[in-house]
Amino acid sequence: MSKDLNIWLDDLLGDIENIQFKRKSSRRVRVDVGSEALPALLELLQGRASYVHLSAISCVDWIEDEEFELVYHVWSYETRSLVSAHTRIPREPGVYLSIYDLYQPAAFFERDIHEMFGVFFEGSPDMEKFILTEWDGPPPMRKEFDSEAFVNQHFEWEQYHPQWLKDLEEEGGGVTTRPEDIRL
Amino acid sequence: MRPENYQARSQPPSNEFELNFGPNHPGIEGNYAFRVKLNGDQVLEARADAGYLHRGFEKLMEGRLWIQNIALVPRICVPDPVPMEVCYSLAIEEIGGLEVPERAKWIRVMQLEMSRLAAHLFAFGGHAATTGMYTTMFWGVADRDLILDRFEELTGGRVYSIYNIPGGVRRDVPEGFLDRLSSLLDYLESRLPDYDNLFFTNQVFVKRARGVGAMTQEQALKWGVTGPNLRATGLEFDVRRDDPYLVYDQLDFEIPTESGGDALARNLVRRAELKQSIRILRQVIERLPSIEGPIRCPIPNPLAWNVPAGEAYTRVESSKGELAYYVVSTGGDKPYRVHVRGPSSMHAVQVLEKLALGARLEDIAQIMFSLDACPPEVDR
Repeated sequence: MSKDLNIWLDDLLGDIENIQFKRKSSRRVRVDVGSEALPALLELLQGRASYVHLSAISCVDWIEDEEFELVYHVWSYETRSLVSAHTRIPREPGVYLSIYDLYQPAAFFERDIHEMFGVFFEGSPDMEKFILTEWDGPPPMRKEFDSEAFVNQHFEWEQYHPQWLKDLEEEGGGVTTRPEDIRL
Repeated sequence: MRPENYQARSQPPSNEFELNFGPNHPGIEGNYAFRVKLNGDQVLEARADAGYLHRGFEKLMEGRLWIQNIALVPRICVPDPVPMEVCYSLAIEEIGGLEVPERAKWIRVMQLEMSRLAAHLFAFGGHAATTGMYTTMFWGVADRDLILDRFEELTGGRVYSIYNIPGGVRRDVPEGFLDRLSSLLDYLESRLPDYDNLFFTNQVFVKRARGVGAMTQEQALKWGVTGPNLRATGLEFDVRRDDPYLVYDQLDFEIPTESGGDALARNLVRRAELKQSIRILRQVIERLPSIEGPIRCPIPNPLAWNVPAGEAYTRVESSKGELAYYVVSTGGDKPYRVHVRGPSSMHAVQVLEKLALGARLEDIAQIMFSLDACPPEVDR
């Protein structure tokens, strides 16, 4: 079964231009496809090859290439193999097509990617905020968003050794422990 | 007699009203909210509302060393943390080309199944509480605690063990551990008839749960349902057997299914899985002493470890369903991207919203607990 997977995918996907695939292991196939051909590829995989389960959509921010990589992981219960379809879209404007019509679980992942990376999926049923309801900053999973800088800008670090404790310790009080008394 | 200035208040046009179910509610698992629109006690609209547990794990992991993240990942799902560690480690091993020793694989399987037992005891204990049967919950939690004792002995941690690292496990099984585990399994097995009498064949539960939150196999496949919830609709699928990892292909176990697709069927599948997990653990106890060898392969200095560039998508069967990690490395000492696909990101959001439609208010908690939804997996 798995040995034929390559040949079989060759037959199936031969018509699609701009496509490369690589078998990573007996149950994992990596497909690289242009963004214009990806919906057609998924339609073929689902309709003619029983890849009915959308396991996940992952988004990777390649900031140096100014691109987002979208990875669609689809699983077939019949051939027991997982195809990861990789495609890249330009970072600006960051708009792509929804595959909700093909796979309903896509709604969750697309909403999540929209919230975390700011990629808008046309045709997705719900692009409203979900997890970061009260967040109005930039999409936080983008590489240019620096969480530590954000924290330093907006919050003050907790003082674990405040002045009143230092004063107290100078007078000989407080809760200081001599290093030789610390037992680990 | 009415006062003179009395004016009848105009009635609302219908009996519909909105209700916030959660984020602090005993019928909700974890901190999670569910906004429902009701007519009387019937649900007309339901919207899941997440974000109360968002800790930004995926972003945090991009800023920490590969090995430091081992301490972060189990916190993504509190009741069932071990699959998180194993799945993350499997991804790094695949990218880095590490060959995990046989003994480590068996120890991992042992730990995964212990975690599954603990998580299932928690899950149906929680479900029992939503139907008012608190005894089952107390029993479930008490028996889970005995498994946590063994976790403590094996790993040093009761809940978050932080024991699986890329390349193997941290330390070997202690002297006499397998005997104590074996007697624990005997005890748990002897408890199963009690659980049946108390809960699984109890008419209070059976009549409440039958037909609640039912879905067909076709719907389940369309909505991305996985794990015990999918098996409750009759599809015999388990990542452990159909996409095997570690040594599951050498183990002998069955995949229980039910045909009802409702809350009852989902609980019965978990009940049957307890038995299978005990069976797997017995095989591990029998085989583990004869498997000699190291418990981890040599890895570079973890504090200066540049995992080679690459990407991997690894899946394991957690107690809640299909758990997957997509990990990307650019050859640095930190991950470039980690994406966690928790099974509950389907179950707690879309599936719950769909199953709640038309259900009665008092059944929402049952539906949520029967799906074994884990909100931290949604928020991450």
